[in-house]
Amino acid sequence: MSGLLAPPGFLWLLRHELRVLWRGSILVRTHRHVLIPVVAVGLVFQAVALLLAWRITRHPLAEAQMLLAANINLIVLGLLMLSRGITAAIDVLYGRGDVDFLLASPLDPGHVLACRMLGIAVSIAAPWLLLMGVLANGLAAFGQVWALAAYPVVLAEGLVVAAASLTLVVGLVGRVGPARARRLGHTLSLFVGLGIFVLGQAPRFVAQAKLAAFWSLLLPARGGGGAGFVFARALVGRGGDLALSLALAALVFGGVWRGLAGPFARGAISAAAYRPPGRPGAQGGRFRRSVFGALLAKDLRQLARYPGMVTQVVYRSLTLVPVLLILTGRFNIADGLVVTVPLLVFLAGQLGLFFISVLRANDLIPDLVASSPVAGAWVRRAELAASAHAALLVLVLPVLGVVARAPDLAGVLALGLAGVLLSNLVLGQRLPMPLPRPGLGKSQSGTVLGLILGVSVSSFWALGVWLLAAPNPLAWLRHGL
Amino acid sequence: MAAEMALTVRGLTKAFGRKAVDGLELEIAPGEFYALLGPNGAGKTTSLRMIAGLMRPDAGEISVFGRDVVRAPLRAKEIMAWIPDEPLLYDRLSPLEYLEFVAGLWRVEPKVARARAEGLLDTLGLWAHRHERCEGFSRGMKQKTVLAGALIHEPRFLLLDEPLTGLDAAASRLVKALLRQQTDRGAAIILTTHILEVAERLATRIGILAGGRLLAEGDLAALRAEAGLEHGSLEDVFLNLTAA
Repeated sequence: MSGLLAPPGFLWLLRHELRVLWRGSILVRTHRHVLIPVVAVGLVFQAVALLLAWRITRHPLAEAQMLLAANINLIVLGLLMLSRGITAAIDVLYGRGDVDFLLASPLDPGHVLACRMLGIAVSIAAPWLLLMGVLANGLAAFGQVWALAAYPVVLAEGLVVAAASLTLVVGLVGRVGPARARRLGHTLSLFVGLGIFVLGQAPRFVAQAKLAAFWSLLLPARGGGGAGFVFARALVGRGGDLALSLALAALVFGGVWRGLAGPFARGAISAAAYRPPGRPGAQGGRFRRSVFGALLAKDLRQLARYPGMVTQVVYRSLTLVPVLLILTGRFNIADGLVVTVPLLVFLAGQLGLFFISVLRANDLIPDLVASSPVAGAWVRRAELAASAHAALLVLVLPVLGVVARAPDLAGVLALGLAGVLLSNLVLGQRLPMPLPRPGLGKSQSGTVLGLILGVSVSSFWALGVWLLAAPNPLAWLRHGL
Repeated sequence: MAAEMALTVRGLTKAFGRKAVDGLELEIAPGEFYALLGPNGAGKTTSLRMIAGLMRPDAGEISVFGRDVVRAPLRAKEIMAWIPDEPLLYDRLSPLEYLEFVAGLWRVEPKVARARAEGLLDTLGLWAHRHERCEGFSRGMKQKTVLAGALIHEPRFLLLDEPLTGLDAAASRLVKALLRQQTDRGAAIILTTHILEVAERLATRIGILAGGRLLAEGDLAALRAEAGLEHGSLEDVFLNLTAA
């Protein structure tokens, strides 16, 4: 054991990897006082989870329903972990430059790979451990101690998914290259997200009886279902299945590690073994005399080519779904179209903050512009214009739809859009929000403070336009009371 | 009336806790190729960054073809180009898009810029790759793309920080020839390098910097005299002067 802990032992290396992961996390790089709202949000989560746990304990589900819910939960988690695992595996194997450094050292390459795989497993399981953990804690507080099984089960699922991600990535990168493989990861997460959303919206479109019949088809057989429900049974606290799940996870993880360790040691799985061919881009070469035009064109290209841009925009634009439902008459709400105004204004603020943060994070060569005869103000103006342009491009159709249906809302909508964009873009230039994945080899440039302030600003403007647009903005409050 | 100097540096000083550049005095004439040598931490890159207008000096004056870099940096930058030791590019732009961007920054007439871009890409062997994103480029290809960017506005003064790092022999020869063309048309060049052979073969004058101060400057013969050596290579002279 002491040999494993001492350099260059396995645990020593694992400690190093975890330290690098921790120092790279947003929380550590964020100023300490920002941890206060983060901890506060965590406490709120725990309080909500306690309420939820209380409700669950008061309305216990039948075992079959419980197992089905657990299984669906695990499948969705697994797919979300897989999408994140694919991008993490690409970064770890083909992006981080220190693989060559570690392989050139007297470290056992197998240990290096195992550490990397464990790092992926921990990083993809951690968010779900935190989220499911608060509910498990809540249930345990009400005497349902079995719920604490969520911790080892989610970790076991993380191990299986990390192994699957690596296998998939090694196979994919050899065929299509890291960039396309990464895009597949983003696309997968997009579809999973959309799938969850559609599932949530299903009661609006599908008759209750049909839905009930559909779910009953998926219910496990008496006795807890077959092999497909092992992890679900473990999640609801069956001891034997928990042990089996852990053993299965260890077997899959160990098997993949054994299979990949050889090629990894030979350098067949590394950035050096695969050099992506240049990708023909859109025909460039439209030379401009205008400095602003050159800066704007560069910024728009940077935005369009940011990895995962489409996924991120679609995720952030889910706010548009209720807007579209209201516009198409599928969803009726008391104040009608007026509700769409704060929704669009909030989304504009969030998109603007995201786009400006991408540009700030991708400003890889500020020295180039600094060495040119261009004042810094032009750079900032071009960033503002590019971000506003991109945000309005996403919003143009729903905005036109609202204005066409309710021309009297045009003024307040225009005011809200201009105000929220200006506020959040200026804020984002100084305090960009953290991005889902910073550029390779780059540290995260955004801060949680930027994110919190950005959301607050968007909410402030949304509330403002709601108060201006709604004929009786506080009516719902009186009804509620 | 004295001829206008390409670069005049007077009493240039910069400290980061300790003095990185300490009262540097430098003059470079148009068409001159000046190599600034020095051991690690001598203040070469700091000096170049101040001359390029990227860093404000604590004291001293810098003028490039009569344009004051400290007081009117934008005017001075119009005629300068700076190439750092790391070939920093926008990975997701193609070489042609990168040149389009750089030409825009220096307000080069579009027709002229396109013709120059095509010529430079062709000369530097990048024409076949003009529409590929730079993310897949080797270090040498990136370095050549950055050089093309530096030359597209035909600067009168070039600052090159280790420009030949990562280039193969053929590319290195090509770049040297391109740089000579620049001095032939009257541009001045200041470069830092650790490859003494490059300085010996290309530079008309060499300055040796250590501890932020200029120890000696001149051609090889002058440097030998300064070092008290009758014979010997630039390496001997350099080691002799910097060891003192």
